[in-house]
Amino acid sequence: MNRPVPPGDGLVDDPVALFSERAEQVGISVITVGTYDEAVERAVALCRERRVQRAALWDTPEMAPIRDRLRAEGVEILDPRGSFETLAGAEIGITGAEWGVAETGSLVLSAGPGKPQAASLLAPLHIAVLRSDRIVPGLATLLERCGPLPSALVLITGPSRSADIGLVPVLGAHGPTAVAVLLVAGLFLGDSG
Amino acid sequence: MKPVALFVTCLVDQLYPRVGEAAVRVLERAGCTVAFPEEQTCCGQAAFNNGFQEEARVLARRFLDVFADAPAIVAPSGSCADMVREWYPHLFRDAPALLDLARSVASRTFELSEYLVRVLGVTDLGARFPATVTYHPSCHGLRGLGLRDEPLGLLRAVRDLRFVELPAAEQCCGFGGFFSIKFAALSGAMLSAKLDTIEASGAEVVTATDVSCLMHISGGLSRRCSRVRALHLAEILAGS
Amino acid sequence: MPDHPTRIDLIRNIERALRDESLQRQMGKAMPASRRARADAVAELPEWESLRSAAAGIKDHVLADLEKYLRQLESQISALGGTVHWAFDAAEARAIITDLARSRGVRRIVKSKSMTTEEIFLNPALEAAGARVVETDLGEYVVQLAGERPSHLIAPVVHKPTEEIADLFVKKLGVPRYERPEELARVAREVLRAEFLAAEMGITGVNFAIAESGTLVIVENEGNARLTTARPRIHVAVMGVEKVLPQLADLSVFLRILARSGTGQRASVYVSLLTGPRRAGETDGPEELHLIILDNGRRRLLADPDLRGALRCIRCGACQNECPVYQHAGGHAYGSVYAGPIGAVLTPAYEGLERARDLPFVSTLCRACADVCPVKIDLPGMLVELRARAVRTGLASWRDRMLVGAWTFFTRSPARFMLAGSLGRLAQRLVARGGKIERLPYPLSGWTAHRTAPVLASTPFRTWWKSRQGEGR
Repeated sequence: MNRPVPPGDGLVDDPVALFSERAEQVGISVITVGTYDEAVERAVALCRERRVQRAALWDTPEMAPIRDRLRAEGVEILDPRGSFETLAGAEIGITGAEWGVAETGSLVLSAGPGKPQAASLLAPLHIAVLRSDRIVPGLATLLERCGPLPSALVLITGPSRSADIGLVPVLGAHGPTAVAVLLVAGLFLGDSG
Repeated sequence: MKPVALFVTCLVDQLYPRVGEAAVRVLERAGCTVAFPEEQTCCGQAAFNNGFQEEARVLARRFLDVFADAPAIVAPSGSCADMVREWYPHLFRDAPALLDLARSVASRTFELSEYLVRVLGVTDLGARFPATVTYHPSCHGLRGLGLRDEPLGLLRAVRDLRFVELPAAEQCCGFGGFFSIKFAALSGAMLSAKLDTIEASGAEVVTATDVSCLMHISGGLSRRCSRVRALHLAEILAGS
Repeated sequence: MPDHPTRIDLIRNIERALRDESLQRQMGKAMPASRRARADAVAELPEWESLRSAAAGIKDHVLADLEKYLRQLESQISALGGTVHWAFDAAEARAIITDLARSRGVRRIVKSKSMTTEEIFLNPALEAAGARVVETDLGEYVVQLAGERPSHLIAPVVHKPTEEIADLFVKKLGVPRYERPEELARVAREVLRAEFLAAEMGITGVNFAIAESGTLVIVENEGNARLTTARPRIHVAVMGVEKVLPQLADLSVFLRILARSGTGQRASVYVSLLTGPRRAGETDGPEELHLIILDNGRRRLLADPDLRGALRCIRCGACQNECPVYQHAGGHAYGSVYAGPIGAVLTPAYEGLERARDLPFVSTLCRACADVCPVKIDLPGMLVELRARAVRTGLASWRDRMLVGAWTFFTRSPARFMLAGSLGRLAQRLVARGGKIERLPYPLSGWTAHRTAPVLASTPFRTWWKSRQGEGR
């Protein structure tokens, strides 16, 4: 018996627009910015608004400008290579996102050194920075392109939720109560800082 | 004139002959010459659905003999038509001599509204029925034979009939043959939910393509002393 | 099988469920809402039917070559540094997992929702081995506190009204009485967060396992499975043999149909693709990964051509949501871990038809389940087959044999059929009033307990037909 060929994704005219629409529908706030510098500013502003004192960030070059700015504002940056317990004290988690999926409005994060799962999982607010040219039309395209697989590749489609009690949807069952994406619409040059 | 053989079904024969009479009138009005092969009894569905396949095979064999040469077999019952269409080939899957006949008879068997609309292409039978009517799609007609628009199209063409939607129409009424006796309370609970929607629809009459479901529904309505009547689709189409 | 000693008393279970007003209210609210959510999510996809066919086709392909894909999965997981254990039955699976816990000195275990671990009665075995086991899915946590079992594949506590959960939290957790779902969820979150941080072992199920890459896929909404797999030092994943998929490319089909069928979402909130244990330089994820591949009757089912299609099941719960019997009976009535239409097939298949003889019969064969099943399992056909087997092996009741015997005796010829009608018309003089019958004796008394019965017509159709022919029309 030959292995049936799974159908691919349907045609999507404007993956970025569809991603934004559907991410909003599942409760991910989409903040579209023109440049990476702008994304940094918005991330810092969000922390300021929320009076964040402790933040967990991925330890990647992309996150360095945000980390430095937050530090300058007096925010404690928890050691991204520290223990789960340490990172559990964060009020915000800021990460990258390798991919976005238009059909489902999902963020796709891969784990790796300096990229703990804890950063997208433990704090009540999770912010991901996503380049618009990393948005794929659907899951089939994502799975074609996402290899070789890291130890954990996680698709995130909205805040943690449960409707187990009384059929009432509750956000933040175990993970973040709120998720936002800083969608960098222009070409990502990594030239800030 | 289209020749058809009427499979009236056992329930109609003994409990609801008026449905059979109406089916004959409707078919004749649609231009058919109706025959009633008198050797017919029951399609065997009741035994089959209860797991008694040997017994069902005996009745199925009888059906195949009786209707072997009929050009078209029409039944005022979606579940009986579905029994012949879906399950006769299954019952004789290990009997090559009968399998071909079973398939052939299956391909010539139709539920009444299906035959009228899909085969004859008729929707307006010139009927008049001054009442508010809702429609319960019987499961085997709906999901077995795929009858969605056929009965509704026929109803829409009836003069003076006011059609109202049945909420949650596609939910089973809870009949299920021997199920209604074995799991009587459960069947009763399912029926009760169906009756609630029928009464909520504001209809004076509930109709369907199967007397089995209608027997169940009308038994429940009568126990509730409801003023809603249950009538087979053929009875409405025969109205003038 | 010692795990399943006695016959499931379906009739009594159902009667109890029907008397349980809060259950009826709860299910009457939840099931129609789930049906609507699914219908809306499916209607959005023009390619829905082709996705169903693809999913069924991929599953059949895997099942036809199951051992090859399982061996590939094993070698991939081993190459990544994980360990694969093969369990023939529930007892073996329990022994493997309790040994793992004991040999590594594990005292505290967190679990994320897994029907497979329910199937093997894992929690009591781990507790007997001295470990504290905490269910972390919110619904499962409630079920565990209440000392019950889940009643639905993806909504384990759908049977329980909020007030009961509020009381339960007061009694078991010693917290003030909170009545709003979000307050109760917050209490659970706090309690369970501490459990995650203290746990040494995390146990999960597996939704899909990818043979080519050794990837375990876990689908959830709450994030508890992520916590269960990211924090504890040891991750034990338990899967039935049928969960394997050949390639990563196959996964998109299943992710798309699973979320839409189960909860009406386009995607579940979290889909974790876990490929091996923690790697060098990483600070979370398990140091040790163990995959238990469980048979427990599945290969026997695979060898059964009429029922093997049930192994396509991805545990989405759509057949339960759609089933009018399940809605009224509730999950617990089915007497085992799998309820609803799929349970009525799997329980007899896994635990024996003798114990579960009534289960295949508790369906009107309305086919709503078959219409929604995303992997096109022919559930009504399987129920019909199991009914035939029950009858063939002598498990039919005396009443059934009598009713069907009488029916087939009297329908064997028109003469007998007319005779039955005549006898019936005589007999009904005793019970019919005003053109209907309010009470019938056993074995038909069940009918008239809930509805009136019709009377036989004074003139059968065929008599009318004859006289009409005689008149020459």
